[in-house]
Amino acid sequence: MEATILHADLDSFYASVEQRDEPRLRGRPVIVGAGVVLAASYEAKAFGVRTPMPLGRARRLCPQAVVVPPRMAAYSEASKAAYRVFDDMCPFVEGLSIDEAFLDVRGMRRIAGEPVEIAERLRCAVRERVGLPITVGVARTKFLAKVASAVAKPDGLLLVPPDLELEFLHPLPVESLWGVGAVTAEKLRGRGIRTVGQLARVPEEALEAMLGRAQGRHLHALAHNRDPRPVNPRRRRRSIGSQRALGRSPKSPSELDTVAVGLVDRVTRRMRRAGRVGRTVVLRLRFDDFSRATRSHTLPRPTAHTGTILDTTRELLASAMPTIEREGVTLVGISVANLDDDGVLQLVLPLEGHDGVALDEALDEIRERFGQSAVVRAVLLGRDHGLSVPLLPD
Amino acid sequence: MTDTEIMVGSGMKVSVSRDELVQKLSIVSRAVSTRTTVLVLGGILLRAENGELSLAATDMELSLRTTLDAQVDGEGAVVVPGKMLVELARLLPDEDVVIEHRAEEGVVRVDSGAYSSRLHTYNVEDFPRLPEIGAVGTFSVDKDALLDTVSRVSRSASRDESRPVLTGILARFEAGKLVMAATDSYRLSVKETPMEGEAPELEAIIPARALTEVTRIASAADTLELGVQENQVVFVAGGVTLTTRRIEGQFPNYRQLIPESYEQVVTLPRNDVLEVVRRVGVMAQRNSPIRLRFTEGELTVSAQTQDVGESHESLPVGYVGEPMEIGFNADYLRDGFESVTGDDAEFKLISPLRPAVIQGESDDFTYLVMPIRLPST
Repeated sequence: MEATILHADLDSFYASVEQRDEPRLRGRPVIVGAGVVLAASYEAKAFGVRTPMPLGRARRLCPQAVVVPPRMAAYSEASKAAYRVFDDMCPFVEGLSIDEAFLDVRGMRRIAGEPVEIAERLRCAVRERVGLPITVGVARTKFLAKVASAVAKPDGLLLVPPDLELEFLHPLPVESLWGVGAVTAEKLRGRGIRTVGQLARVPEEALEAMLGRAQGRHLHALAHNRDPRPVNPRRRRRSIGSQRALGRSPKSPSELDTVAVGLVDRVTRRMRRAGRVGRTVVLRLRFDDFSRATRSHTLPRPTAHTGTILDTTRELLASAMPTIEREGVTLVGISVANLDDDGVLQLVLPLEGHDGVALDEALDEIRERFGQSAVVRAVLLGRDHGLSVPLLPD
Repeated sequence: MTDTEIMVGSGMKVSVSRDELVQKLSIVSRAVSTRTTVLVLGGILLRAENGELSLAATDMELSLRTTLDAQVDGEGAVVVPGKMLVELARLLPDEDVVIEHRAEEGVVRVDSGAYSSRLHTYNVEDFPRLPEIGAVGTFSVDKDALLDTVSRVSRSASRDESRPVLTGILARFEAGKLVMAATDSYRLSVKETPMEGEAPELEAIIPARALTEVTRIASAADTLELGVQENQVVFVAGGVTLTTRRIEGQFPNYRQLIPESYEQVVTLPRNDVLEVVRRVGVMAQRNSPIRLRFTEGELTVSAQTQDVGESHESLPVGYVGEPMEIGFNADYLRDGFESVTGDDAEFKLISPLRPAVIQGESDDFTYLVMPIRLPST
């Protein structure tokens, strides 16, 4: 099997868009931030600035950095332009997020050349048509392609030839593996495991004992370079969600409720626009110490009804309140999983005296025509709505 | 048994009949908590006094208590792991059972014939205090009316804990009648039942699960007593006392959900339609709807699930007017035709996107169900 999978990843995406649109920012450390660092240019990263670091800390690390507020509409536009380039280049594009995608160029040699040539053309096209730097990793599997692009950043291209995969993979630090964050890396370091090669020598059972069954298996497979997942351009979303980073100051229950209301509004609206309904409501929290917690509840029937999902979210939030009060919450995320098409939909009795679905639909229509803030819940009046982070189409 | 053993046992000691023990344990065990977070709630409280052994269990929402005759050789109380005691009692070899608490050893001995066992116990002080029944004023209610009413509405109650109010049944005692309503937000059942007796005015949201238990304890009993104390509702029947938490909150205003007029009122042979819905509904798997297509003089019921199969069946009905097709959850539709009585059922329709109502021979019961929106509608 040959290396035909490309992982295309726009470099410091938000910061690069700012540098593209404002020549004075080019070559200078740029931080895009709102409370926390959302993106940092490579010039700023050189000073140790990272996402999602609090802005104050980033400023201390890099006092000369230019901090700009995010312009989500511009990023969304740039992302669409980049995806147009991907789609023109190859029919098999699997979007991962606003700024990265997999492309599978298998079988295109005769019409388009070697995968590396296609990758280089892709980089030039994104540079010319979108004005942004992009790094491409080329490999036999998705996982290796993603590792390759991470190694080649910024503005680079790296091919991992099939016969040199283990030579490439094994010297890398364990953090290069998908699913290894600071906590897991620390656990592994405690056992003297620093590189992927060292990890590969640990028996699967021992890894499962160390990290739990699922993660143990997952990392064992990756360290042995096993990743059978194909590039799947029609992959449908399995959940629709939105999250909001909060400052580190303590939040009252009513402030958290307001955040939840905003998030649920946004998520359910996206669900309805995509014609999807879901059954499982998931609340994600991040605490002061960067630990995380997840609560979920599965409803008896799928819905995209704002009222129902908000009720469930509030229950979840209430159940997490003791932890929130103890740990201090810095991020709230809400997603709806277990998605289905709304083709056949169980209708709901208007228990609150009105038909909630009709209300949802009317509000959606108003926002579609007159903009997001044309109709706002009273608790959200005059508030910054949080960043409407641009997303792939649902 | 030697004298010294009797001297050691200063705690509870009783002799009871195995069959009666098994029967009474099976009643209270339904309130034993299945959650493992609070261990003592998984226990059954045994208390011996005045020639009786009383049994009690609670999961904090529901409690069940009853007594059995006992030869009491030592008074006292102890909490024993519930599931284990129930399982054990059934298997005991002899009709005579001796239960003895040995507090100093922290165990309960259960002996029967040649069998002897020692179970570890929970602390009696940790067991929740249950409402004192003597202090609650109870009144006698028309048992048959109450049980019939519960059985007609309980299946519309929600099992989803995220909206606690909907897991309850709204019960309203008025002069001369009892009204109960339940809804899971997809269907609504309302039953009014004339009721004899002295029942005072009372309205409470009672967990559907507790009312189902009331049906169980009262069906063979002669009388049923009801009382309310603060946030608790108490039922007494056949020597069993059941207490349940009242659900706080506002029950939806169900009256406004019931349409005032309909486009179509079709009279259907209840039994035939029920059979058809059951048969055809087999092919309505996962979230697939069962479809009812009304044309002049005919109703066609059909269901189809991708990768499973398809079925349909027609029957003659007195339908007049434009053809109409409407989809439902097969279980909800079946529940509706099952909970009405009489040979004929009235099926009342407005449009494929509006609620439908099923009514039986008398109009004191209403089953309202929301349709499933079909792709073409």
